[in-house]
Amino acid sequence: MRPNRLLQAGAYAVLILGSLFFLYPFWWMVLGAFRSAENVLTDPLRLWPEQFDFTAFSQIAMVSGEPIWLYIVNSLVITTLSTVLSVVLTAMGAYAITRRPQLIAFRLLRSGFLLTMMYPYMLLVIPVYIVVFKLGLLGTYAGIILFLALGPIQFFLFEQFFRAFPKEVIEAAIIDGAGETQILRTIVLPVSMPIVATVTIITFLLNWAQWFPVLVISRGTSTYTLPVALLNQTGELGTNFQAIMALAIITTIPVTIVFLAAQKRVMQGMAEGAVKG
Amino acid sequence: MARVADYFRSGNVWVFYLFALPFAGLTIVFGLWPIALSFLVSITKSATALRANPDYVGLANYAKVIGDPVFLTSLWSTLLYTGLAVVTNVLFALGYAFLLNSVLVRRGSTFFKIAMFLPVVTPDVAGYAVWRWLYDQSFGAVNAFLALVGLPDFGGIASPNTAMVAILVAELWHHAGFYVIIFLANLAICDKALEEASALDGATPWQTKLHIILPQLRPALVINSIYAIIQFLKTFTVIVVMTKGGPNGTTNFVSYYAYRLFDQGRYGEAMAMATILFVLVAVIAFLAYRIGERGRA
Repeated sequence: MRPNRLLQAGAYAVLILGSLFFLYPFWWMVLGAFRSAENVLTDPLRLWPEQFDFTAFSQIAMVSGEPIWLYIVNSLVITTLSTVLSVVLTAMGAYAITRRPQLIAFRLLRSGFLLTMMYPYMLLVIPVYIVVFKLGLLGTYAGIILFLALGPIQFFLFEQFFRAFPKEVIEAAIIDGAGETQILRTIVLPVSMPIVATVTIITFLLNWAQWFPVLVISRGTSTYTLPVALLNQTGELGTNFQAIMALAIITTIPVTIVFLAAQKRVMQGMAEGAVKG
Repeated sequence: MARVADYFRSGNVWVFYLFALPFAGLTIVFGLWPIALSFLVSITKSATALRANPDYVGLANYAKVIGDPVFLTSLWSTLLYTGLAVVTNVLFALGYAFLLNSVLVRRGSTFFKIAMFLPVVTPDVAGYAVWRWLYDQSFGAVNAFLALVGLPDFGGIASPNTAMVAILVAELWHHAGFYVIIFLANLAICDKALEEASALDGATPWQTKLHIILPQLRPALVINSIYAIIQFLKTFTVIVVMTKGGPNGTTNFVSYYAYRLFDQGRYGEAMAMATILFVLVAVIAFLAYRIGERGRA
């Protein structure tokens, strides 16, 4: 089968247009941060800045009364800790459930978890506010991190992996007299590293983007992450276009780097995690 | 082997309970308890909802919500938007996946995939903040571009007639890549032999696509439709960042409306809305699932 030249040109034309649609907003964001508002106003479509104007980045040194580094540190700390917690908790939970799927407690747990994941997330966060309030964790990192540790895609990826794990290997170890913690540590964990890496990266990307739970559980700006600071900014400095674009860049860069470094793993992992659900 | 069988049947479950304990704790504290609470709050008087002994008012909040014309408009626009968004996103993703998977496209397919998926991992707040300005009537690139190619202005998020379309495009930008990779995963496991056989039998490429490949894509089609339905029924972030429910309430979707009521301390009504939306999501997702399953048999 020799591909038709004309059809091929058409296919590439559509994909290039599609890619422009996906990528242009990023470029426009970068330009917007480095061009003065007046310049953007006179020529919104310009593809290269007249000159690099860094005023926006000095304007966002303080956002909503807090230094920008506070949000950067918050984002890093909250995302990293919630990711580690999520991976460990979910892996252990999914492992236990797949090893003993017939236990009634585990069946209930699995259904309960699925129900939670079906509940409209934004509307779950509101009663979570009440729960966090009752636990005395309002405005704390702990409250935010604990809530962010729960996610569907993590669970499905681990469950899928452990289900496919060869039972014979575990049975052999049991015959040899190995205990469960020993089996987990010496047999399951070493071969689980690729899936652990995939889930870690995906969780990092997802949790970095979280804003609503952070906003709701926070009591003030001191626990805000970058997306929340950005959202705050859009309301507060409504028309400071340049500063908003600069803050959007800072919010986007870390995930862009992580994604580009691990794009294949991320796309494959997200597809697999979704197909299971 | 008897020992192993014994082992699996009895004993030593405690270590597994221990393994699952933190996960179970989190699911209960941040999942089941809030869900139970949201139902409880939906049947209490708002002013007393946060007290230790709230006043229960039965279904009064539900009655109030259903009698509220703003809610009915909100529900209708949510359903309309969901319908439009699901169809647009799934069809777009299907077409795009076919292209990426096509024999016509060899070089550059990794680049196209990365370009399409980058918006998915971009924090939604940042993406929508950029789109909000792209649509801006004086700053925005959208109208400048339309003027350049000689097309009339697009009202964007400023006009009640176009706001829904405007947020639909922004949401497609953010979500479509995810649906595409699910179609791609499914296309990768399609039976190549069937395809070749149909081509040998003289089927045109379109006939092959329609009658041979499309039926094999049923799993991805079902998954994507269910995901998209759940996704768009609870549309929220794009509204908060771009329209705040406006203009003229045209994008005042249920999630956002419920959140605003919550913000005003009308907890009972907000949670009644949440429960209604949850039931709606569950029923529609379940129906979509059943339709998908029945078609398979």
